Amino acid sequence: MVHQADPLSATLSALADPTRRAILARLALGETSVTELAEPFRMSLPAVSKHLKVLERAGLVARGREAQWRPCRLEAAPLREVSALLDQYRRFWDESLDRLEAHLQEETPDDRQP
Amino acid sequence: MTASPEPYERLALTTVRVIDAPPGQVWKAWTDPARMARWWGPSGFTNPVCEMDVWPGGLIWIIMRDAGGTDHPMSGRFREVVEPSRLVFVGTPQDAIGKPYADNVVTVTIEAEPGGKTRLTVHSDATAFTRPGTGMLDFMEEGWNQSLARLAALED
Repeated sequence: MVHQADPLSATLSALADPTRRAILARLALGETSVTELAEPFRMSLPAVSKHLKVLERAGLVARGREAQWRPCRLEAAPLREVSALLDQYRRFWDESLDRLEAHLQEETPDDRQP
Repeated sequence: MTASPEPYERLALTTVRVIDAPPGQVWKAWTDPARMARWWGPSGFTNPVCEMDVWPGGLIWIIMRDAGGTDHPMSGRFREVVEPSRLVFVGTPQDAIGKPYADNVVTVTIEAEPGGKTRLTVHSDATAFTRPGTGMLDFMEEGWNQSLARLAALED
């Protein structure tokens, strides 16, 4: 059964692999060829291409069509949604615990008995 | 296919605070529903419903209301209740039509600090219910949070 993933799920699935995250980190430095990209990973070109296809489908990587070597470049937009999700999660706890501290300061001395 | 939903999306974080209140008071803030209702949730949220039965297996039922008036229900159960030092509960938030979308295991550790203060440690580990077989993303991998924020900030 094929599920149609929402864009955030597609981004998260693509990111759930250390090699793909390393590829993105490399592409953050600038666009490059598949051959150059494969070098530090000690992987075959087809293996790297497979990872690139996953990243392309998730909209995280774009391939140029102008040059014969089809440069790969990072597309950062989908990452913002993931980053926002993480921020939201952190904010829930930071703000809840701020309110907890404020609440504890408001309580009467009787409440403060351990 | 597995019989139960397999998680692929996981968010975990730990927050530590030293609070200027004794451990017993911090414990009450987490286990007395009337007190919990006053602080649970981000700023601007209220908790029109906050019920909890504080024993291992006991029910938690909280409806948070955001500043725009939208309700965010969460049901859950206590796993461990060790007064006044340790509380573990699983909270299951639901979407607008009441469909659960994640399990959030919250571990609260309350320790005495000198001067009548308390060290509060909250570990929150959320796992979304999603499609099986898509792998798992652990945001706690060292350095990855920072990398993600940096990558996300790049201009296209």
